[in-house]
Amino acid sequence: MALIEIENLSVTYHVGGRSIRAVEDVSLSVAARESYGLVGESGSGKSTILRAICGLAPVSGGRIRIAGAPVKTPRGKAFSRHVQMVFQDPYGSLHPRHTIDRTLAEPLAIHGIGDTDARVVRALDDVGLPPAFRFRYPHQLSGGQRQRVAIARALMLEPEILLLDEPTSALDASVQAETLNLLNRLRAEHGLTFLMVSHDLAVIDHMCDRVLVMQHGRAVEELSRAALAGAQMTTDYARTLFEASADRMLEV
Amino acid sequence: MTLLSVKDLHVSFRTEAGLVEAVRGVSFSLGRERLGIVGESGSGKTITGRSVLRLIRPPGRISAAEMTFDGIDLMGASEKQMRALRGQRIAMVMQDPKYSLNPVMKIGAQLTEGLRLRDRVGAAEARAKAIAALEAVQIRDPERVMEAYPHELSGGMGQRVMIAMMLIPNPDLLIADEPTSALDVTVQAEVLSILDNLVRSRGMGLIFISHDLRLVARFCDRVLVMFKGRVVEELEARHLMQARHPYTQGLLNCLPRIGGPRAPLPGLDRSADWARG
Repeated sequence: MALIEIENLSVTYHVGGRSIRAVEDVSLSVAARESYGLVGESGSGKSTILRAICGLAPVSGGRIRIAGAPVKTPRGKAFSRHVQMVFQDPYGSLHPRHTIDRTLAEPLAIHGIGDTDARVVRALDDVGLPPAFRFRYPHQLSGGQRQRVAIARALMLEPEILLLDEPTSALDASVQAETLNLLNRLRAEHGLTFLMVSHDLAVIDHMCDRVLVMQHGRAVEELSRAALAGAQMTTDYARTLFEASADRMLEV
Repeated sequence: MTLLSVKDLHVSFRTEAGLVEAVRGVSFSLGRERLGIVGESGSGKTITGRSVLRLIRPPGRISAAEMTFDGIDLMGASEKQMRALRGQRIAMVMQDPKYSLNPVMKIGAQLTEGLRLRDRVGAAEARAKAIAALEAVQIRDPERVMEAYPHELSGGMGQRVMIAMMLIPNPDLLIADEPTSALDVTVQAEVLSILDNLVRSRGMGLIFISHDLRLVARFCDRVLVMFKGRVVEELEARHLMQARHPYTQGLLNCLPRIGGPRAPLPGLDRSADWARG
């Protein structure tokens, strides 16, 4: 059974009397422990799908089920235990005036989980940060270190599903490599399921088993990893995206 | 023929935490060709580009054994001489159109401002030139874009407007600082081919600053790889895959590739000898 099931999802924003369809009739399903990618350009609705799952976007149609059960609105505490999100910008996603310790301990306090001390230390260790970082503030960390904290925060409640919204696009290439390696290791160790958004097809290919190409809020084509590597896409748009992908440039 | 020659360029900033040396002894020369400068954040690539135009504000200090552009000594030039060079002969395209265009001025007014004030061109002629520039960067509906405000344009359109603006005075040297990193891949490819055509057809020199080694390799003739304010390797773009320096190799290898192996990506070893000092 699929862990994440999305059926005919539509998201409509109402801005100044106009309606904007950010996502139109998208369906996908992700099996437990699978890593699924969403790729597309800005405005394709890929991030909106993640936000809709978390209840951060106005769903106007369709169904979202996690582990067979429809999600409740508002999402509630039980949802947070299952699903957590890592955002794109580690500069914006951590509270600037909370220490790393407070950021990591907050979900535990909300959910009434004890043993805070040991859990925070373990979480830092898990993402490869020294224990001394616990009492620093976000501005004292580099971008890559902050993204590690954001990942540690998402894992505090031991969720099964991580929603990753461009987790490395704000990072330098070498730091991106370290962060992707970290995510892959955590997925293997914790048995996580990933739903990952990126505009970089090479990153998605490295991380995901299947990928959905999106354009203008609609699903264009779903590709397996083998089909992507073998350039066996059937739609023109997926091919355009593939041809324009940065890593193709060295082949020419 | 050498258009720009830079020898032993140093840029330092006196901060509360002490002296920060952003650029430490960079030398290069440029003809009418496309030179790429690559490096990660903090490598000094942007500062190097800005130094050529002497666009470094105090407490930043520039020093160089030599910095000449077409026979003009850039280090010794007065502020007035520099102003005559900036935009007219050396132009710079900034990274993000969202922050580099005036948000409360129509595109048309921004494009013609320089022509009207500096070159004393009449309104009708300035408008015609601006429209021609927009057409040169393949904007389909230049009349509409002239009347638009920056927020009404997409990122790709904004970046094209910036390029058009820089091209109006027909400069000899164009410095493009991450001109496409705010853009989607397909738009990026379009903007690059526009830039490429313009550089070729007008015989300009181009300094292309980017963090993306692959992009630079495809787009430039020669590549400077910078790390911590120094040039660690200079090579022909087409020989990039034969890079010798461990930093360049590390940068190339740490990028995932479509169809590549699933093994952990090799990281950069920052503890090696070359990374110190």
